[in-house]
Amino acid sequence: MTDKGTTTDTGDAADAAGTADPQAYVAQVMAEIEEEVRLRRSSGDLPPKLERELDELFLAHSPVAGRGGDLTEALRMVDAATFVDPVVPVASERAAGAVVKKGMRSLLLWYVGWITHQVSQFASAVSRSLHIVERRLKELERKVEVQRVPSAGVVELPALHRDGAWWVQPTLAAVGAATGRIVHAASGDGWLVRQIIAAGGDAYGVDPRPNLVEHGVLTVSDLRGEDVADHLRAVAPAGLGAIVLSGVVDGMASGERTQLLHLIATKLAPGGVLVVHSLSRSSWDAADAPYEADLAPGRPLRAETWRHLLDQSGYHTTVTIGPDDADYLVTAVRATVPPAEPTLAQ
Amino acid sequence: MSAAGPQGPPVAVHQFVPTLNPHDATGTHTLLLRDILRAAGWRSEIFAEAIHDDLAAEAYKHWMYPDHAAEGDVHIYQFSTSSAVAGFLAERGEPLIIDFHNFTGPEHFAAWEPHTEERAARAHDELVRLASRAQLGLADSRFNERCLQQAGYGRTTVIPVLVDYHRVGAPPDDRVAGELAASKREGGADILFVGRVVPSKAQHELVKALWVYRRLYDPEARLHLVGGTSSFAYLKALRGFVHELGLAGAVRIAGEVSDSALAAYFAAADVYLSLSAHEGFGVPLVEAMAAGVPVVARSVGAIRETVGDAALLLAGSDPLYTAAALHRVCTDGALRQRLVDAGRRRVPQLSLDVVAGQVVAAVATVAGTPR
Repeated sequence: MTDKGTTTDTGDAADAAGTADPQAYVAQVMAEIEEEVRLRRSSGDLPPKLERELDELFLAHSPVAGRGGDLTEALRMVDAATFVDPVVPVASERAAGAVVKKGMRSLLLWYVGWITHQVSQFASAVSRSLHIVERRLKELERKVEVQRVPSAGVVELPALHRDGAWWVQPTLAAVGAATGRIVHAASGDGWLVRQIIAAGGDAYGVDPRPNLVEHGVLTVSDLRGEDVADHLRAVAPAGLGAIVLSGVVDGMASGERTQLLHLIATKLAPGGVLVVHSLSRSSWDAADAPYEADLAPGRPLRAETWRHLLDQSGYHTTVTIGPDDADYLVTAVRATVPPAEPTLAQ
Repeated sequence: MSAAGPQGPPVAVHQFVPTLNPHDATGTHTLLLRDILRAAGWRSEIFAEAIHDDLAAEAYKHWMYPDHAAEGDVHIYQFSTSSAVAGFLAERGEPLIIDFHNFTGPEHFAAWEPHTEERAARAHDELVRLASRAQLGLADSRFNERCLQQAGYGRTTVIPVLVDYHRVGAPPDDRVAGELAASKREGGADILFVGRVVPSKAQHELVKALWVYRRLYDPEARLHLVGGTSSFAYLKALRGFVHELGLAGAVRIAGEVSDSALAAYFAAADVYLSLSAHEGFGVPLVEAMAAGVPVVARSVGAIRETVGDAALLLAGSDPLYTAAALHRVCTDGALRQRLVDAGRRRVPQLSLDVVAGQVVAAVATVAGTPR
């Protein structure tokens, strides 16, 4: 409890409180809060998937559209609400209340019933129309499905996606100054997340391969088994200090990659860092390349293409080619100008 | 320019507004501005598409304007949402000033109020449509000014919302103050948020933060949500969420309250917390600063401009971050005092007298000097 005026000073910022620079003081306080959060997360005081569970709990109370329900689910709700009942409940907490309500209901039923009958007819017609739309939509979906471009899988080489890989230290250095959370995707069992946390970063991992995530959760508190783009969509605008991508962009189709970059542009804080580790094309053609490489809808970009794309998007980009040209690392720092708010842009 | 000659009646500067409500920021701003315009020497009336019953004597329906029209009239449109008023003004020829308060984007309504989503989407089109008609765009923040410029407005200036923040210093409602004092005796911090219960204000994020805060730091903490609603689906979901988290005794959804009850809530608050997803200005933040309540807020829209350095600003609404920030503000005396002091320094910069002078000078560039 806080009694106004009877609080205590906390942390290093207390010393800075008396200084003349309010910005430095607030920055120090925020750094201490971030450290507190990091410690709380690593201590296991809260379930690692807490925020997601709270979100799901809230959405369970929202209308069907808020739950991301599909058309069939929405139609079930429409069907259930098609009949408008003119016989209103008459229960009351007061003794005479039920009698009065019942009398009013009897008096008004001829009128209310006439209205509700028409509303029910209208709702039935709407429901019928929607069922026809749903059937035709499903037919269309079946036809479109054969031409669908599959999502890219995670393409990793064991030698290049492990603790001692050459690109790990440059990545740790690049994200070391990030303010805010750091996400690694695809995080696998959390091998890089562990290293970022050990280096003092507030990191978590996202990976679309649930078996790897379940295995990693035993040693890393915050790993999320989700599609990377789906996860980023749920993150608050400018909510991330750094994003590390490894194994996820190499095989993406062009459109999928463009969408991901747009998402990153809105979720990365101004001054935030984007690190992309990608295999080279020669690694994909090697005999020991993983089977995901054959099944991917796209192929890796050349390092210079990444530089071109990111420079165009307002990043300051650095490219490092790995030994034997097997892979490369792109480090990009986002411009510090705040992103345009989506209010009017959309 | 001045449309009235030296011998003629004073030029009228009339305001148009989608809805005139007594307890929302735009309604309060419109009423205060009407008084300021009159005091400056202009004739001024309010015309609205919808008028709250309590203000029936203060305004006319917008379609009644032709009965009041006179040569030399200048119009100010308080733009805060989509409205039939926009189309009405677009068809007229009087010099027009857009006073832009921003509007909540359709994405915030999609899951909750599909009909409102459509209306919100129309607001942007109306803003663009009026750009060619407007001689001046007033924005209550630089954030809003950028929106005007993106929509094609050539001449713009920033003038804060008119806030009568003295109402938070009014004598508090005895009954509400008594109830809050009784709760406080049980221990625990009182966290306050003031704003309409709608998805964009993200009261559910406040509830999430409270749940974490109680679990990690302060098991007796309470959250007070003050403000009416126009989104009953969201309110219903919020109530269900509160109940399911076992917070029914810790979260008070007070609804719309009187000025004296609002003063009681501010007097009892240990911290003001805002996790809104969208804010064009944030009047309650100014009220919190005026009441000496430290502010913790998610930095979206114009919030950083409104609070200056008088708040702890969060990048997102992560409940653990928020809880840690709340804990820090509630337990760190130096930080708390610094935020309160900075708030008290910030408020005079937004005072009615200061802003009134700015707005009169801006209006005069279109309507001429009042006599």
